[in-house]
Amino acid sequence: MHTHDVVVVGAGLAGMRAAIAAHEAGVDVALVTKIHPVRSHSGAAQGGINAALGNETEDSTDNHTFDTVKGSDYLGDQDAIEILCGDAPGEIIQLEHWGAVFSRHETTGKIAQRPFGGAGFPRTCYAADLTGLVILHTLYTVCVKYEIPCYEEYFVTELITDDDGACCGVVAYDMVHGTIETIGAKAVVLATGGAGRVYAPSTNAHASTGDGMSLALRAGVPLKDMEFMQFHPTTLSPSGVLVTEGARGEGGILLNNQGERFMSKYAPNKLELASRDVVSRSEATEILEGRGVNGCVMLDLRHLGKEKIMERLPQIRELAMAFAGVDPIEAPIPIRPGAHYHMGGVHVDSWGAAPHMSGLFAAGECACVSVHGANRLGGNSLLEAVVFGARTGDAAARFVHDGNGNAGAAKPEHALEYEKKLRGLLERTQGTPQHEIRDPLADMMQEKVGVFRNGDDLNAARKVVDDLKEKVPTMVISDKGRTFNQSLIHAIETGFLVDLADCMVEGAIARTESRGAHSRTDFPERDDEKWMKHSLSYLEDGKVRLDYSEVTMTKFEPQVRTY
Amino acid sequence: MPQTTFDIFRYQPDFADESYRQSYALDHEPELTILDAVLRLQNEQDGTLAVRYSCRSAICGSCACRVNGKTVLACMTQVEDVKKEFGSDTVQVDPIGNFAPIKDLVVDMDPFWEKFKSVKPFLVPDGPAPEKERIVSKEAMQKIYNESKCILCAACYSECNSFAADEEFVGPAAFVWGYRFAGDERDGQRKARAKLYSGQHGVWDCTRCMYCNERCPKGVDPRDAIEKLGGIAFNEGISWADSGARHAKAFLISVRTGGKLNETLLVPFTAPIQSQMDMPFALRMLRKGKAPSPIPHRVKKRSEVNKLMKNVKETI
Repeated sequence: MHTHDVVVVGAGLAGMRAAIAAHEAGVDVALVTKIHPVRSHSGAAQGGINAALGNETEDSTDNHTFDTVKGSDYLGDQDAIEILCGDAPGEIIQLEHWGAVFSRHETTGKIAQRPFGGAGFPRTCYAADLTGLVILHTLYTVCVKYEIPCYEEYFVTELITDDDGACCGVVAYDMVHGTIETIGAKAVVLATGGAGRVYAPSTNAHASTGDGMSLALRAGVPLKDMEFMQFHPTTLSPSGVLVTEGARGEGGILLNNQGERFMSKYAPNKLELASRDVVSRSEATEILEGRGVNGCVMLDLRHLGKEKIMERLPQIRELAMAFAGVDPIEAPIPIRPGAHYHMGGVHVDSWGAAPHMSGLFAAGECACVSVHGANRLGGNSLLEAVVFGARTGDAAARFVHDGNGNAGAAKPEHALEYEKKLRGLLERTQGTPQHEIRDPLADMMQEKVGVFRNGDDLNAARKVVDDLKEKVPTMVISDKGRTFNQSLIHAIETGFLVDLADCMVEGAIARTESRGAHSRTDFPERDDEKWMKHSLSYLEDGKVRLDYSEVTMTKFEPQVRTY
Repeated sequence: MPQTTFDIFRYQPDFADESYRQSYALDHEPELTILDAVLRLQNEQDGTLAVRYSCRSAICGSCACRVNGKTVLACMTQVEDVKKEFGSDTVQVDPIGNFAPIKDLVVDMDPFWEKFKSVKPFLVPDGPAPEKERIVSKEAMQKIYNESKCILCAACYSECNSFAADEEFVGPAAFVWGYRFAGDERDGQRKARAKLYSGQHGVWDCTRCMYCNERCPKGVDPRDAIEKLGGIAFNEGISWADSGARHAKAFLISVRTGGKLNETLLVPFTAPIQSQMDMPFALRMLRKGKAPSPIPHRVKKRSEVNKLMKNVKETI
């Protein structure tokens, strides 16, 4: 058994940034992650990270705040968004000081910035189209420098709570050595990323199974705004591989099968750079009304020219060639909307603390502060990960410094108890294989809980989720060994995914309005009177119970949203 | 619908001490990557099959493996392309080379991460940080851009001949990261890094087989980074202290003066003491006609050679 002051579960941008902050605050912090830190999905973020540096044109954090509030369709908490945008320049400068290889302005040598969707100014800092990779690597090098201990390929299976219900550690499966371990902690930070794999296709990595959210949910902590899944407007078919918004930021245009630049109908001012929910809905409408090409529309970059594509979007070219067989210098890329980013997550305050459980914190996509509300702006996810990663790491350290936390309540027996549960699972020889639950779930979510939703589809979705939920306890694992048992991990992840889908569907059924990424054809208008509130999903006796909480408004009154 | 036989390396430490091979047949759509094939086998035929993977879009670096002996990222390699290239419906899948297996395609990467950490892979700037970002020209940042693309997949170590011969060789990806910092004008440790990366198992131990450049799935060109680190070592003036560097220097002097390589000169330059002890052996070889003449042979058109050398220098 191991013990640390702070244990951070997940080692992407938010997790590593939290660990670095906690380390700098002088506590003993360790990372626990099911994949090596540099494998984290933050590395797949391409286009950039927003901060009102004003390196291209004048800009201000107020502008950034307004754009984010508007982008959120007024569901984001404005006090938290002010923090996000206010801390942004400082965090970017800090990353630069740590060595991040940001692309530079031609003449000034400052960090270059490009236009992005839903933003009034070129505000997105970038490293070609590898921004996430470069920042992920930068944070990893800082973790190496600080010698922050990292439990690599440890899959966390449960949160441990003490008699007062405070979080005091985790149980984890050490994949390489095949053992179950207890890791005690005074504070636990969940930073396990998104749950995009609830859907297929998805831009998300196979590892993005929302583990942290489900761990919290099962421990009695509510999840917030789970009905809001963002569909990215440009993903490759059939794989779902992401094509950055930077492609449109650099001037890429969207065409239908008539060769028409259809965004002029839906967002006459911002065109392709309207917010993501707007662009995805426009594409879906074109495709539904028969103006698509094999279920896609076309992203045309040809007019940018070879040189600009090679300099600013080299990875996009590589991916389009490898996964769609198209060289964007020569031909338009067929793309379609695909599940990409989950606005919902573990309900936390603006210090990343879960109000329902002492000692538990969350940051990044796994958390819901909420800064993205009903729709996230491109370039704000990496930003949230570092800004709230840092704040959460600080807060967890402060929690420990103030004498809180009960790491001693985590005992080796917790691992042994879990071991007993596992034995049942491992010994079972008849039942449902995990992919017979996971695959139909993900296909169904895409079909019934997609870009457009309606009551009938959502009720059908509820039925499928209920059926699959019943199969979860009957799952059978074909690998009976201890070492690197992926069959076991997939089964546990599948259980997590079903929980999360349940919350998403219940939240979507209840919310009888259209806001941001949640678009109901049977309730096409935003209803501020009834629905300007966050949903909270609790898991009680295996069923989702919904509750609601207020949205914080400071400066910006809700307006009709046009782009 | 194409049918493919996958011949996969198996190592199941919980059930057998020895590794073995296993064949699986799969009917599939023409569009299928090696990774998706293995994942389908895992789901549909054999849940014990293990493979590291995550992003499936060639950026996380998890899924490097050898396909028909060639190191690739499984997620960006199409099964049908491999079959066409090798003219066979059977595709062999093996873990990356030069690392011990943990299970099937999963290998022990600890030595790789240790090597990465050994090059001090973090920025150590001179002096305190300014209030805003450091000003760096676009061109200066561009110099380390190629190295910043490295995804640490270890494909280069799988192919590295020096690493195969010497497990302590620091190796290609780690040196990519070495150059990523030594070549970063914000870093203040250029000289210390040049020294750290020289010596035994260092940059001079690369055999220049170029496999790392050839097989890097991201076009990072690790050998070029090693070469650039050699250049930095020269410029930082530490070359005489290091036998590898002396060896390289002897190359240079020999070509500059004689227009071609004088191999006899290399030995005393590279290992002055050892070469004296080996003198009787060298004389015996010479007597038997097994050693090249110690009197340098000059090429006719040295001006051509000098022009080439100048070109090379300008491009570095």
